[in-house]
Amino acid sequence: MNIIEVKDLKKSYLKPENKNESFNAVDGISFNILAKEIYGILGPNGAGKTTTLEMLEGLKDIDSGTAMINGIDVEKKPYQVKKIIGVQLQANEYFDKLNLSELLVLFGKLYSVDVDCIDLLEKVGLSEKLKAKPKQLSGGQKQRFSIACALVNNPKILFLDEPTTGLDPQAKRNLWNLVKDLNHSGMTIVLTTHNMEEAEYLCNRIAIMDAGKIIAEDTPQELINQYAPEPSDLPLQGNIEDVFLTLTGHNLRD
Amino acid sequence: MITSLQLHLSKVFLKIFLRDVQSMIFNIFFPLAFIGIFLVSGGGSESINIGVVDNASSITSKNFIDLIKNDPLFEVTEGDEVYLKNQLLEGDQLAIIVVPENFDYLEGTSELKLLLDASQVRQINQIKTTIEKSLVSVERELSNTEPMFSLKVEDFKARPQRYIDFLLPGLLAFMLMNLSLGGSGFNIVEYRRRGILKRLFVTPIQPKDFITAIVLARMMIVVIQLSAVLLFAILLLGVRIEGSLFSLYGMIMLSTFIFLCLGFCFGSFAKTQEAIRPLVTSFTFPQLILSGVFFPINSLPDIIQPVAQLLPLSVVVTGLRNIALDGSGLFTIDSSMFGIIIWVLLSFFLATKYFVWKEVAG
Repeated sequence: MNIIEVKDLKKSYLKPENKNESFNAVDGISFNILAKEIYGILGPNGAGKTTTLEMLEGLKDIDSGTAMINGIDVEKKPYQVKKIIGVQLQANEYFDKLNLSELLVLFGKLYSVDVDCIDLLEKVGLSEKLKAKPKQLSGGQKQRFSIACALVNNPKILFLDEPTTGLDPQAKRNLWNLVKDLNHSGMTIVLTTHNMEEAEYLCNRIAIMDAGKIIAEDTPQELINQYAPEPSDLPLQGNIEDVFLTLTGHNLRD
Repeated sequence: MITSLQLHLSKVFLKIFLRDVQSMIFNIFFPLAFIGIFLVSGGGSESINIGVVDNASSITSKNFIDLIKNDPLFEVTEGDEVYLKNQLLEGDQLAIIVVPENFDYLEGTSELKLLLDASQVRQINQIKTTIEKSLVSVERELSNTEPMFSLKVEDFKARPQRYIDFLLPGLLAFMLMNLSLGGSGFNIVEYRRRGILKRLFVTPIQPKDFITAIVLARMMIVVIQLSAVLLFAILLLGVRIEGSLFSLYGMIMLSTFIFLCLGFCFGSFAKTQEAIRPLVTSFTFPQLILSGVFFPINSLPDIIQPVAQLLPLSVVVTGLRNIALDGSGLFTIDSSMFGIIIWVLLSFFLATKYFVWKEVAG
């Protein structure tokens, strides 16, 4: 069953260097996401991953196309959609003067629910930090706290925007396990990343995005079979990174 | 009317503001320091140090000097000319009167000299008038004539007014302007920059919940800080508030609302913390001078006065002063109340028109 259905989604911006011209950040993409799967949107910087997520989350207006989440039209009823999704943004800053439990209670109030802070923080392995301020957390702890905030309304779908960027390997593994656990409990998870290993390890299906378009979409194994070039002198099969570079080219992105 | 979410959110903002001890202290420091200066200088009564050189040493010159001494405007020191001139140069005296030897000779006019540094003395006309008045009464005594006219000044409002009484409402208004602009405009820009607004708006919160909460929390902060300054002024300086506290606080709330709305506008216009600082300064600084905080608007040049009177801080200062000094009520229909209403409507209109929510959030 599709929990997310996206059709011909478009978003254009004015070019920062020339305000008279616009470019399509998201250029007519369509995809469906099944309930309870982990779906990854993989792409280089500036591919349109975050813009896509922000349109689905009701943060950005949709220029054209439709996005349905759990049968609700995002454009028509953004507040209905916001109630059933949990979101972790790339920037994960919070009010400095509040501690973690106060922040969780605040986020709960925004959904009109009472929050069991201890339970939530335990879920993400931060039960010791109940009274800590966000500034006192390490990078990995901050990301996990962001996820705790995204879970206050017990969402059907969890959006994660580059959840492991900037984390050390231990913190990264730890977060992956958390995402797997949440998925096992029945949550649909949509994440963006440019970490190949992450996409390969976590996702049931991957969409590869470049210049506002989806250029390939399948399970990691199928993508490898289709696109990874046969290594010439090594008997080993390629990996998702090879797929990615074959599809998006080797040029540097900013 | 106010939902439990808005109430909770405003409590959260209040907590955030109150935990920011540093900004609380800085906000309250300037007005308290100002009042403190008045406290040290004896409640704002300012007398002029004046030296008198009596070259005549006669009964008439003594009479004249006594008249000057009895005037509360002057603090008189007698001495010889060289000594007093040195004091004038060092700034211990503001002016010196030299009484000539021929002071009470009946033939011819005797000429008194008033030595001063005109650039240093603001009250030069006041000094001249008082001395001339004293001279006239000495002259009458000598020539045995009764004065034909006498002018009796009665303050028909019959209330003692010192400079601090005049200044306090101005200071309160200036304080509430800064607190409100800082609490709306600066906060919005800061929360946007750090992505906090964006994070809030992926939840089902509505813009009006957020704004109501900030407005409520800021009003509480303004009331707390202004009350502290007011209490300080009332207890230590014996400042009297003629109007009712209800009217005073009502006016404070309305004024806070005006500047919060304007702050939201600035927050929408300025994209960065670097941009909002000069924007807000160019709004507040001219008003500090033009809005009658430190001296009455009618002491400004005539051309500027009509414009100055329209500024939001001017109507707030005048409104607060009318309540504090003249005992008007909140519902007294006068020009300042009219100005307040206009600014409440105008600022609310501007805030709702220019506060672009999506852009603010992301």
